[in-house]
Amino acid sequence: MEQKEGKMGKVVTITSGKGGVGKSTTTANVATALAMGGKKVIAIDFDIGLRNLDMILGLENRIVYDVVDVMEKRCNLSQAIIKDKRTKGLHFLPASQTKDKSVLNKAKVEELVNRLIGEFDYILIDSPAGIENGFEHAIWQADLALIVTTPDISAVRDADRVIGIIDAKSKKAQEGGEVEKFIVINRIKPELMERGDMLSVEDVLHILSLPLIGLIPDDEAIVKATNLGEPIVLQDKSVVGIAFKNIAHRLEGIDVPFTELRRKEGFFSKLKRLFR
Amino acid sequence: MLVGIFKKKRSASVAKNRLMMMLAYERASTKIERLDEMKQELIEVVRKYVKVKDVEIKTSSNQNLETLEVEIILDQSTLR
Repeated sequence: MEQKEGKMGKVVTITSGKGGVGKSTTTANVATALAMGGKKVIAIDFDIGLRNLDMILGLENRIVYDVVDVMEKRCNLSQAIIKDKRTKGLHFLPASQTKDKSVLNKAKVEELVNRLIGEFDYILIDSPAGIENGFEHAIWQADLALIVTTPDISAVRDADRVIGIIDAKSKKAQEGGEVEKFIVINRIKPELMERGDMLSVEDVLHILSLPLIGLIPDDEAIVKATNLGEPIVLQDKSVVGIAFKNIAHRLEGIDVPFTELRRKEGFFSKLKRLFR
Repeated sequence: MLVGIFKKKRSASVAKNRLMMMLAYERASTKIERLDEMKQELIEVVRKYVKVKDVEIKTSSNQNLETLEVEIILDQSTLR
């Protein structure tokens, strides 16, 4: 039934154990990058009560209805979906600001996501942090999960806990499959890593024993981009933007090497040389 | 703080060790969802045969091995 429109979209859930590690920023930028590559993409905010994807995308002023309105049939799906005017192919479905987190129920979420699977190439779900209520809805239909962490012990520890329960909460796993899981390491400070004062990429991957899909350097440009409500992938020359675009490419099956990993020293200077 | 006399111990390696220790402990306990229930049943089974003071279940795991250690503490008074 969900294949009426012919599409068979991929559901990618962006999650983390700890809050504030860059989930929404990752969702916004990967969604934008995929749309820039010609895909029909929808980013959904599942962080009920604490939405912020709208602001990172710069679409907060265009919200009329939200995901709960759709599920409660207060509006049509098409009325709630916001089309981004800057990036063709990018769509957004906002979270509800309601305080009642229990408004989502599994059957309604599933029905909604199934409709979107039929209409979009990618459905990116911005999950709430941790293992609370909304998390299981966000992960239920995931084909892929991107686990965002920073190289801090507390973030990695919480990431480990979330990884441990993804399969337990996913439909795919219950049907005998497995959700493909990848790590995004955000806010890397290369100087600190080189000096041995920040967990290295290898350390984080070794501890979490999952493949890497993105390495995002810490950069003040991301703060500015968030202030402006313009995902940083829209800037051609941004190192951070390129790092997010690389995640989108890897999702598309393009093998983009992790230059950063080959030569640890000069990761920054090398990137800068490559892209300037 | 953790500066040796001859060699500085970098903070990242300290962080890594702390994490690995913590996770080895946490991983196994989150994998068994009904640990408490199991513990209760174990106590009941063992109680059929001996008096039990307490049952302690320790879990630990590393990359290749996961273990579950069950310690049954018997009630001393009934054994004499």
